[in-house]
Order: sequence, then C-alpha cells, then structure tokens
Amino acid sequence: MDILFDTCIQFVSSVFGSISKPYESMRGVVKRSRLLELVPMFCFVLLYVGVASIVKIQEFRPFFLTGQFITLVFWIALSFGLSVLILWCMGKNIGGRGTLQSFAVSWGYTLVPTLVWFFVTSLLYVLLPPPRTSGFLGIGFSLVYLCFSAAVFLWKGTLVYLSLRFGMRLTLPKIFLVLTVFLPVMSIYSVLMYQFGIFRVPFL
Amino acid sequence: MKDKIYTNFVKRWEEVTDLPPQTLGPFTSSYKDLVHGVKSMPVPVYAAFGLVIAFGLLYFFGERISFLVSLLQKGF
Repeated sequence: MDILFDTCIQFVSSVFGSISKPYESMRGVVKRSRLLELVPMFCFVLLYVGVASIVKIQEFRPFFLTGQFITLVFWIALSFGLSVLILWCMGKNIGGRGTLQSFAVSWGYTLVPTLVWFFVTSLLYVLLPPPRTSGFLGIGFSLVYLCFSAAVFLWKGTLVYLSLRFGMRLTLPKIFLVLTVFLPVMSIYSVLMYQFGIFRVPFL
Repeated sequence: MKDKIYTNFVKRWEEVTDLPPQTLGPFTSSYKDLVHGVKSMPVPVYAAFGLVIAFGLLYFFGERISFLVSLLQKGF
C-alpha cells in the first residue's frame, strides 16, 4: 500500500515537473525507471475512456458503453505498445542505449499532454458543443482553443524529445532520424484508426 | 555552502558522464539558446507558441478556423 501511495506521489510530482522543469523531471523518471509509475497513468486513461464513452454514446446503454470502453482501451494500449516497440527497435538500430523498461516509462509520460488535451476536448464538447459560429464569440473561442491545443502539442513535443534523449540516450540528429521513420508509420496507423471509426485524432 | 556547491557539482558531473551534452557542430550555441527557455518553466514559451499558431491559422484561414475547431472538437 505504501509503495502504491509513494508511486502516486512520485507520478503527480513528475507530471507537475514535466510542466515546470521538464528536463530535470524526465531525467528523474528515466533514472528511477519504475514501471509502477505507469499504473496511475493507466488509471487516468481508464477514467478518460469512461468519460469519453459516455460523451460519445450520450445515453446510458450499458452494452454500447462497455463495448465502446473496451474498444478504446484496447486501441490505446495497442498504440502505446506499438509506439514503444517501433521507437525502441529503431533507436537500438542506430546506436541507442538504455533499457526497454526505462524507455517505456518515459514514453508513458508523453501520454500526459495527450490525456490533458482529450480530457479538455471531451469536457468542452459537453459544455460548448460544436459547431462553432463565425461570429465574434465563435472566433474568440476558436482562437483560445487553438492556442491551448498548440501549447499542449509543444509540451508533447518536448516530452517526446526528452523521452528519446534520456530514455535511449540519442542525439538530436538521431532523434530526427527516428521520428522521420516513426511519424509516417504512425500517420498510416492513424488513418487506419480513423477508417475503423476508433479515433478521429489519434491517441498517441 | 561549500557542501551545496560540491553536491551540485557531483550531481551535474554524474549527468554529464551519463549523457554528454548535446552538440550540433556550428549550431550548438543556437540550439542552447533555443532550449534555454524550455529547460525551466517553459509555460510562457508554450503559450507564446500557441498564440503564434492560433493567430497564424486565423491569418491563413480567416473565419473558417471556426470550422477547423469544430472538427477538432469532434476529434476525441
């Protein structure tokens, strides 16, 4: 019980650290390399999927809600596993060091901005449902939303860079090389997910 | 005071021996300048980046950004 509590405190501290001191925080995450730190992350993902299922289905029908929930959890877990494996294999091939465990834990933290964006988007979908108007308020909200999305995207980019830098000890040119291969593969994967009707924006 | 300096030195030394600082040949100083703002409390940098992107999109798409945002809002 103490270990779980300690892990949760460590997780929360690392999440706030990833905002205020991303370098120091991600260095610490890789140094600790505790797989248990992914447990709170997984719980938050489950919470999000629960909320998203309710928002998407929009009525209390347990069969459809459960189906939606299981589908989303499966694809999110698969996306995470696939991303870690592809990046780790590629990183190793071009001279990356480090263990799969340390990289997986650090990559897990890159899901925090994704989760924040998806949570906020789901809540805004309920509070201010689309479509937006072309009036002053519509454009104003659009600007705020795009500003928020871009800021979260840069936060995500920083964490991805740091995850590859500290988790696999890669240099910047090698990180670019890995991402040059990884991003097209994930783009194809995202298009497939879109066609299957799972995610319009990929949960990566 | 000396102990603190020594502890910080050892900590930094361990970091450098574990992972050498990033170098990019002639672009190293530019890289250092670029990441300097992100190393500690990067929120203002993120916000500035967000503002530039948002107003850039408004400039290119005009009123149609409301359509783009409607699409994004349905994207979860």
